[in-house]
Amino acid sequence: MTPDFLDQLVNATTLGALAPFLTLCIGAMLLLLVDILPGTTKLRSPVFLATIAAAAWYSVQLLDAPRVELFSASFVSSPTTALWSLLFLASALIAWCFAQHYYQEEQPFLAEHDVLILCSTAGMLLMAGAQDLITFFVGLELLSVPLYTLAGFRRARNDSVEAGLKYFLLGAFAAAIFLYGSALLYGGTGTISLAEMRTLDVGQPLALVGLALILGSLFFKVSVFPFHLWVPDVYQGSPTPVTTFMATGTKAAGFAFLLNAAFLLPPSSALVLAVIALATMAAGNLGALMQTDLKRMLAYSGIAHAGTILLAAAGYLAGDPEQLGGALGASLYYMAAYVFTAGGAFGLVAWLERELGGRVTLESLRGLSQRRPALAAAMTLFMLSLGGIPATGGFLGKYFVFSVAVRSGMIGIAVVGVLLSVVALGYYLRVIVAMYMQKPAAGFAPLGEQRLPAALATGVCAAMVLWLGLLPGWLLARIG
Amino acid sequence: MNNLTLLVFLPIVGALLVAATPSKAAGAQRLLTLATMLVTMVLGLAVCLDFDGSSALAQHVVERDWFAIPGQSGDVPVLFKLGLDGLSVLMVALTALLGPIVVLSTWGHIQERVKEFMIWLLVMQTGMLGVFLALDLVLFYVFWEVSLVPLYFILGIWGGERRLYATIKFFLYTLSGSLVMMVAVIALLYQLGTADIPTLIERAGGLPHDTQLWMFLAFALAFAIKVPLMPFHTWLPDAHTEAPTSGSVILAGVLLKMGTYGLLRFCIAPFPLIALEASPWLMGLGAAGIVYGAWLASAQNDIKRLVACSSVSHLGYVVLGLFALTHAGVRGGLLQMVNHGISTGLLFLLVGMIYERRHTRALDQYGGIASVMPLYAVFFVITVLSSVGLPGLNGFVGEYLILLGSFQASPWIGAVAVTGVVFGAVYLLMATRKFLWGPLTHAANRRLPDLSLREAGLMLPLIVLCFWIGIAPNPFQDRAAGSIDALMQRVDAARAQRQAALQGEAPAELFAEQVLPR
Repeated sequence: MTPDFLDQLVNATTLGALAPFLTLCIGAMLLLLVDILPGTTKLRSPVFLATIAAAAWYSVQLLDAPRVELFSASFVSSPTTALWSLLFLASALIAWCFAQHYYQEEQPFLAEHDVLILCSTAGMLLMAGAQDLITFFVGLELLSVPLYTLAGFRRARNDSVEAGLKYFLLGAFAAAIFLYGSALLYGGTGTISLAEMRTLDVGQPLALVGLALILGSLFFKVSVFPFHLWVPDVYQGSPTPVTTFMATGTKAAGFAFLLNAAFLLPPSSALVLAVIALATMAAGNLGALMQTDLKRMLAYSGIAHAGTILLAAAGYLAGDPEQLGGALGASLYYMAAYVFTAGGAFGLVAWLERELGGRVTLESLRGLSQRRPALAAAMTLFMLSLGGIPATGGFLGKYFVFSVAVRSGMIGIAVVGVLLSVVALGYYLRVIVAMYMQKPAAGFAPLGEQRLPAALATGVCAAMVLWLGLLPGWLLARIG
Repeated sequence: MNNLTLLVFLPIVGALLVAATPSKAAGAQRLLTLATMLVTMVLGLAVCLDFDGSSALAQHVVERDWFAIPGQSGDVPVLFKLGLDGLSVLMVALTALLGPIVVLSTWGHIQERVKEFMIWLLVMQTGMLGVFLALDLVLFYVFWEVSLVPLYFILGIWGGERRLYATIKFFLYTLSGSLVMMVAVIALLYQLGTADIPTLIERAGGLPHDTQLWMFLAFALAFAIKVPLMPFHTWLPDAHTEAPTSGSVILAGVLLKMGTYGLLRFCIAPFPLIALEASPWLMGLGAAGIVYGAWLASAQNDIKRLVACSSVSHLGYVVLGLFALTHAGVRGGLLQMVNHGISTGLLFLLVGMIYERRHTRALDQYGGIASVMPLYAVFFVITVLSSVGLPGLNGFVGEYLILLGSFQASPWIGAVAVTGVVFGAVYLLMATRKFLWGPLTHAANRRLPDLSLREAGLMLPLIVLCFWIGIAPNPFQDRAAGSIDALMQRVDAARAQRQAALQGEAPAELFAEQVLPR
């Protein structure tokens, strides 16, 4: 380690910029200790919560700090990355809250669960700030490896193990493709830095092939057509709190980088991206329409939402570069709404799975509004937000994303897109129909005990969905 | 706090209060809702009385920054802006007035899950008032879609047997139109750089012709589905038939008017040139709707479905009048929106009341009702005659103006529409004969109790209005006069420009000069 490097590492600005990431790493290590030392098990929750809170506090500090480039411009910290960090932390916290009463026979291993979540979140932070391919890849792996484990966390259950294995095999494959793409891109341009690539011409065949491979592996991570096929099985098989985390956090992290690197793509690819986005929305929505299992339906709906965000990326490529901020802001807003909406919805699935003692199907949801009015009302809010009905964050997110598409002249694409979201309402409404409009099925499990963390998380998610839908000013001002 | 802000959000506050009551306390919930609706009504009517009808400007305006989105040249501020003008004043009054009436009507037919019902009713009221009062395009859109949700629940939970089919059909039909409109809203905001509706209307004339055409079509589609105009009408009979009485009254009384109101404010006002070009088509659809709705109605045995089909027919008049684009036509169309709300609302209330007693809607199960329920028969006959357009009652004034206006615009379409008046009289009067007169053939009808005090009382204000508007329509018309004059000025300017263009002179600036006085 050269003194120069040390200097760079240990100064106030650098530490401040890295603080959220470092906090998560330290928190993860502390948790490992807590798990080993006798008599400290009770500290598990406080340590986890303190870590998240500290990381969030440091991220909030960064909201007003200037942009800082670290380590030869391989990692950047800016108000935007701070917002992404807050989103990842929120996603982790939501997943954690719903996990508290979810596991039964796995209860003794919950500390490992929390460590893995923290590691994965750290990976997300790295991905969002990554300015070169290597840093991004390290972040991606730091995100993915804990998630492979988490997907198979309920090791006594076949479907969980299957989900873990599937996710691992396909994820490893995607990682390999990413590396192959990076190698080609490096071969074509001679650099791994995004900033330097900006000044170079990436139009030559070698670099383009590399870009296409990288894009493919990113599409895999964020579940975009035609790389979305793993999603339903993995989402359904994984423990539901993990699914919550995967659906919101991973997707956010993938898009954070994808939008960062989107400028590498030639403008001519805008139409291709738009068509892929529409295909993703169609695949997700039509797939979801066929489902009766709520978790699987939400998995498909997540695919459709990935398509909508991709539309913003396409709009950004088609529009003039001046509007970069608009497109990125729209995606960030959409993702923020999605994290709280889908986080709440998947979380409630986790809650209901325990309450109903099995899978949550449309059948088992019948008459829920009579037994758990507050829970049903929250679920309704999340469904309406996922469907993009006004007064919810989902609506404004959708509005902003489609604004980007319309502004860049893709009006036809936007019209097809909005009509596909009518299809989406078709299945979101079915959930509401089951909860409110159908007679309860005979033979109910008794009401479960109160679950404080889950109830709090649900309340916060619902409040955030409304806040994002009614008072967008704060977040919009931050996004710029 | 501004009066209009209070007016719009008062029902929501009431809804929160109702939500806080224990779920068994149905009586308290009803009273709380009724009280909220009454206060809203008083406030709403007071605002509408304190309104200068000779001015075209929005009054009682409240304006706050909401957020901003990027536009073609700089950020476009999106406002929280409410205001009352001549196009909305009658609608607001009608909405405010129907509120307590609808609540009172629920005593008869909503016995289960009263709390939820009252909450949705109040949320609905906020949504509808918001639609009419919003003077910002995005805010309008938000209220427009929000008002879908409560009716979806009202239909789906308290509806009839096929309610799930009807409610999803209603929701998805309306939503597909709305979402296309959303794209138009986005595009309009981006190109014109404002979301403020009066400014937007001024600037819209400057857009290229084709852009105007597409915008017009997108808006018109959304509103035509809501009205509903003929080829898009199939959701309405299903929704009406399955809805509980109060749902039908809101749907017919106010919700459908959101469509015609939208046509007036967002199709005709900003794009008068396109409206003129589209006028024969939309008048044609309106006239076709009048006749087709009447035919459909005459074939129904289900009395509620019959009223629903008559609704299609009557809203055909409104569209016909608005798109005649003559002074008389627009005035008649606007007044007929109110009239239809009153008379069709009354019809649904009456049908609901007999259904609560007899639990059937089949016309052939009745006959001779007048002899056991004389007071009911009086109310029913007055309502039917108002709906048919008997001189001296409200329907006549509106229909007369509309037909006058449409004859000025197109005698042929006017002639088709006049046959609708005849058909309308035929099916309504024949149904009344089967329903009220003749011998009492069904034993079950012998002991039907007449209207209770509550039932008669809740309908009385509407009956009074039938006569009032029929005999002295001017106080109502005058409130809208200023706005209609301003609107017609724009239409006439566009007409002059169009004629000049047709004659080959094409002074491209003329329109802009006359319409944009700056």
